[in-house]
Amino acid sequence: MTTTAVTKTPQQHTDDLLLVANDRDRDAFSRLFDHYMPLLRAFTLSAHPGSAILADEVAQEVMIKVWRKAHTYKPEFASASTWIFTLARNARIDYLRKNSRHQSDIDPEYLWSEIPAEDGDPFQAALQKRSADVVQAGMSQLPDDQRLALKKVYLEGKTHKEVAEELQLPLGTVKSRVRLALKKLAVSIKR
Amino acid sequence: MLNHHPMPEVLADYASGSLSLSHALCVAAHLEHCAHCRQMSDTLVHVGAQLFESQSLQLHGDSIDEGLKQKVFSMLDDETLQLDSAPVSISDQPASKPTSNGKAYKVPRCLSQFIKGSFDSLEWVRVSPSIKIATLCRDKDGSQVALSRVQPGGKMPHHAHTGDELTLVLEGSFSDVDGIYRKGDFILRNSGDRHKPVVTKDAECICLMVLDAPIQFTGFFTRWLNPILRHNHAFG
Ligand SMILES: [Zn+2]
Repeated sequence: MTTTAVTKTPQQHTDDLLLVANDRDRDAFSRLFDHYMPLLRAFTLSAHPGSAILADEVAQEVMIKVWRKAHTYKPEFASASTWIFTLARNARIDYLRKNSRHQSDIDPEYLWSEIPAEDGDPFQAALQKRSADVVQAGMSQLPDDQRLALKKVYLEGKTHKEVAEELQLPLGTVKSRVRLALKKLAVSIKR
Repeated sequence: MLNHHPMPEVLADYASGSLSLSHALCVAAHLEHCAHCRQMSDTLVHVGAQLFESQSLQLHGDSIDEGLKQKVFSMLDDETLQLDSAPVSISDQPASKPTSNGKAYKVPRCLSQFIKGSFDSLEWVRVSPSIKIATLCRDKDGSQVALSRVQPGGKMPHHAHTGDELTLVLEGSFSDVDGIYRKGDFILRNSGDRHKPVVTKDAECICLMVLDAPIQFTGFFTRWLNPILRHNHAFG
């Protein structure tokens, strides 16, 4: 860590986000900035190594969204980090659409929502909270190869096909690593 | 109760944002129908958030410039930057007009960018007595997004394809050798699959179809369809 001297708990970030939402508290926003700005930059740099200027631009854009959209954040559904991750992911999707990869006439605006979706109810919120806890507990127990596959998908923004090519593994192997990892994180699928 | 869902790694690619937009369109349409996958997709976002939060910052080793922080703070006061308007909610979408059989179809929210009003407002091209197709868009990567509309009991043309094919049932149902597919079901076919879907006899069937590569209809009877489809897609 280079900018945050004191490690904060997830609850403190959530409290700060609520202060921003309810009181437009700039000190709270400043604390969020110090914590999330390096994470947001690292997120862009994972997908675009060496693109420091792009990383600054995207991180700046997401932080301004945090300020403006804080009133839509619902703490009963997601931690501050989960909510800010969805903003970062959506910014990445927008960027990719404007630049090569996703070039498309499809507007991503209605394809990805932030948590919660508008129909979220208290039961759903309880489920979300529980699954987030399970994910958090399970993540540190994952074998390195499974964790690496997840990191490439989530942080570097690669599809399973691209991960397989990069690691020179059969596509089936990458898929099964991701599936095993998700199974351990209690992401079960109905077939 | 839906029986056909996207595979977990498809939902993971969706949650991470790496899924192509045309595939994401099908997943988003499925999520509008499927609470189970919505829940799963939210959990997959938690997975991403966890990885995001635990990124190694030393790897990139530079600190945040104070100037950047000041710049962001100065932008907070910029009154010309409007607050994002709230996204259109599902209920704001106009319900489509009742069709000839009296049913009002609801256009999924994620398709409202292509369909203003009802399915009937699209330019449907008849490709056989029982099949009509309306192209929604064609992406630069060669994938095509279209709706198919088949009469009750109608046979879908026998076709082979060279890339993945995604189908999302929007209205009605159809079946093939593997089973029956109902409203909301998500079907992913890989290249090489040969299947002969037939629409159930009780109602017409409207599907969202995403083709990674142009389909090739096979067989004597349907070979003539190819030029028509290509023409249709080329100007979609
Ligand atoms: Zn589902």
